[in-house]
Amino acid sequence: MKSELLNILCCPVCKGPLVLEVESEEAGEIIKGTFYCAVCNVYYPIDEGIPNLLPPELR
Amino acid sequence: MSQKRAVVALNVPARAQKVYYLGEQLDVLPNVYEPSDDTYLLVDAALNVVRPTDSVLEVGTGCGLIAKIVARVARSVIATDINPQAVANATLNGVDVIHGDLFANLNRRFDLVIFNPPYLPTHSDMSSDWLTRAWDGGPSGREVITRFLSQVDKHLTDRGRVLISISSITGYREVTERMKARFEIVRTLAERKAFFETLYVILGVEARALSERQ
Repeated sequence: MKSELLNILCCPVCKGPLVLEVESEEAGEIIKGTFYCAVCNVYYPIDEGIPNLLPPELR
Repeated sequence: MSQKRAVVALNVPARAQKVYYLGEQLDVLPNVYEPSDDTYLLVDAALNVVRPTDSVLEVGTGCGLIAKIVARVARSVIATDINPQAVANATLNGVDVIHGDLFANLNRRFDLVIFNPPYLPTHSDMSSDWLTRAWDGGPSGREVITRFLSQVDKHLTDRGRVLISISSITGYREVTERMKARFEIVRTLAERKAFFETLYVILGVEARALSERQ
């Protein structure tokens, strides 16, 4: 996932901002990490470069 | 080639198919909707509509064919899909894709939103496998389209346009009426008779987009 994508993403539940935490990065792409919504207290995973922003009940 | 791409490439199953269109070559993984007549009709129409200055969102990108081809013209293209295999597939094909339901996780507006929705009526409960969900439009065939149309306003810029594909089986009049309630201009841009249905591509233009041009 390109880090610029952060600017267009929001929490799918409350539409609030997400906090990005990068675990591994490569050539400007985030490979592994999480998005965190403080309002909903939910983590959204980034795995193999792919952000999963499905609400928890749809995963 | 980055390590990530190499890892993804190794994960391509032997059953992956190749699809070729307009000079692009794409892999189609198992459990991902294989580009079909509706896909090609929609991408052809999109190329007639897209402007070089457009920021584009493709909802339900599948293997990413439309997003990839439109990206040759548009300023930027982002895609989403609810199917995890489709998200992996579009990533493999070089599309910037986010795993999510419609545009639930996007806070930005786009100049053009393209959607080849699940549009066939079924009796299922919408909880079936991913490949079924790619075409399953619920009992009316319009469940996902209706949800899409009720949310799309919030994701269109002042010059926003929407391009969707449907089938005669979905209910041409029902969908166009619903779009007319929401958009200033609704036009059928393409029509193709298939074996048991007619496929349509329908454009919706925001009123704001028109006042800008005057």
